[in-house]
Amino acid sequence: MRHGFTSALIAALLLSVSASRAAAQAPARTADGKPNLQGIWQVLNTAAWDIQDHAARLGVPAGQSVVVGNEIPYTPAALAKKRQNFESRATADPETKGYLPGVPRIMYMPFPFQIFQTPEQVVMVFEYDRGIRNIYTNGTPHPRGPLNWWLGDSRGRWEGDTLVVDVTYFTDETWLDRAGNFHSDALHLVERLTPSGPDHINYEVTVEDPNVFTRPWQMRMVFYRRKDPNLRILEYDPGRLADEARAGR
Amino acid sequence: MLLRNSGLVLALAVIAGAPLVAQNAARPAAPVGGCPPVPAMFHPCALEKAKTFTPPRTRSGKPNLQGYWRGRLSQAFSVEGVRGNEPLVGSKVMPWEIAPPMIVDPPDGKIPYQPWAVPIGRIGVNFSQYLDPRTACGSGGVPRLALQDADQILQPDGDGYIVWLFEDHHVQRVIAMDPRPPLGTNIKVTNGDSRGRWDGNTLVIDSANFNGYNWFDDSGNFYTDTAHIVERLTMIDADTIHYEVRVEDPKVYTRPWTLVWALVREKEQGFELLEEACREGQRDLDALLGTGIKFYFGDPWRGR
Repeated sequence: MRHGFTSALIAALLLSVSASRAAAQAPARTADGKPNLQGIWQVLNTAAWDIQDHAARLGVPAGQSVVVGNEIPYTPAALAKKRQNFESRATADPETKGYLPGVPRIMYMPFPFQIFQTPEQVVMVFEYDRGIRNIYTNGTPHPRGPLNWWLGDSRGRWEGDTLVVDVTYFTDETWLDRAGNFHSDALHLVERLTPSGPDHINYEVTVEDPNVFTRPWQMRMVFYRRKDPNLRILEYDPGRLADEARAGR
Repeated sequence: MLLRNSGLVLALAVIAGAPLVAQNAARPAAPVGGCPPVPAMFHPCALEKAKTFTPPRTRSGKPNLQGYWRGRLSQAFSVEGVRGNEPLVGSKVMPWEIAPPMIVDPPDGKIPYQPWAVPIGRIGVNFSQYLDPRTACGSGGVPRLALQDADQILQPDGDGYIVWLFEDHHVQRVIAMDPRPPLGTNIKVTNGDSRGRWDGNTLVIDSANFNGYNWFDDSGNFYTDTAHIVERLTMIDADTIHYEVRVEDPKVYTRPWTLVWALVREKEQGFELLEEACREGQRDLDALLGTGIKFYFGDPWRGR
């Protein structure tokens, strides 16, 4: 009996501890009860340079892979193309032309982005190239294709506390990083954004492209909340800056 | 629809000088929001209507301006309007359409330029020597963005920001609704640093920190990096916003002046903003620059 009482007490204590821990971890909510992902976010990794394990090169910080398992399942022809891209990356990388960098690349550029939410839409606004992602969460399907958009067409839904985004209709003119990793216009992404605390979002993206990869594969990384007071999304418009340089300004 | 889907076609059309917006926005003869379809007459009528109209509210009780909008009573040629005797009205390449001024103050409908700036502005040095920044795939800028193509106003959860998205060259404006300190004066951005507040049912957007790389219109009317622009958005009925833009720039004008047009709700079923990549489809820039026309980065006013 005495033993039982103690157990019950311990169980109750444990319960209350885990309950308060759960409360601490429950994400903030919007007025319509969805996890509140709003704020200014940025990655703290080297995926913009190379999504795989890589040693430092001049101007390139060393970094660990954001690719789950590190290996990207290229077809043999695609692997040869990737190696060729790497060799000619200084001029062949679409980033050097000031174009929209595509998805998921825009998510891990070393620039902040801001998330806004309404019940119908999640909007991501990027400092890099003033990119906009409109993720419709109003139950609408992808429009009828074919379409080739630099940032694709994004339709989202909530699975518990995870925002799941299906993205399709890409061009074949964007890369995945500065190391020549690439895809075709058959790229299809499923992104999962899950808050893991007030200031962190776990980001997982499943990459599928039968023209380039032998099977779907995944990247995982963390978005960190930028907490600097008065921080605002500013502007890095690579095309305009290149034009200014060309004009001798 | 097909045109709007294709950044390439659009970019080529813009570069070829086709006045795409003008084609879309034939001036309506019908009243707009129950007011006369001429800016100078629409302006007082709309302000009167706003006094008695109660706008819909968001969940948090703010006037609800959300939705898709298009500029009306606006044209892209010149904010000073177009008179019938102007040479460009008869142009075979890019015929302008006759239109009243969008300027309601001063009453003569002219931008109150300082003398040095007159020959640079309307069909002047800018127009003849520089590439329209919008043609070069820059932002249309404030307020030109709101007279081109479709846009969307969002009032995200928490009321901390208003987001204004524009289809034109994928441009976004994030308007902070809190009283945080302004950006340092050395930080210049294309669409300015915008702070918003509610004045009754009117959304007031106060913007500065412009880089001065934008024009008001096709004719090269301009402001500089010292411009201070105050926009006022007031619903006058469920589908019409009175849009007023007060421009102040001591570097280039003798006094502040005011533009007015309407934003009318886009009601097409299932309407969404599409991606308009511009630079990514641009093919004629080298040829254009080869004719001797220059990029516009504010050279005509720099050093003033």
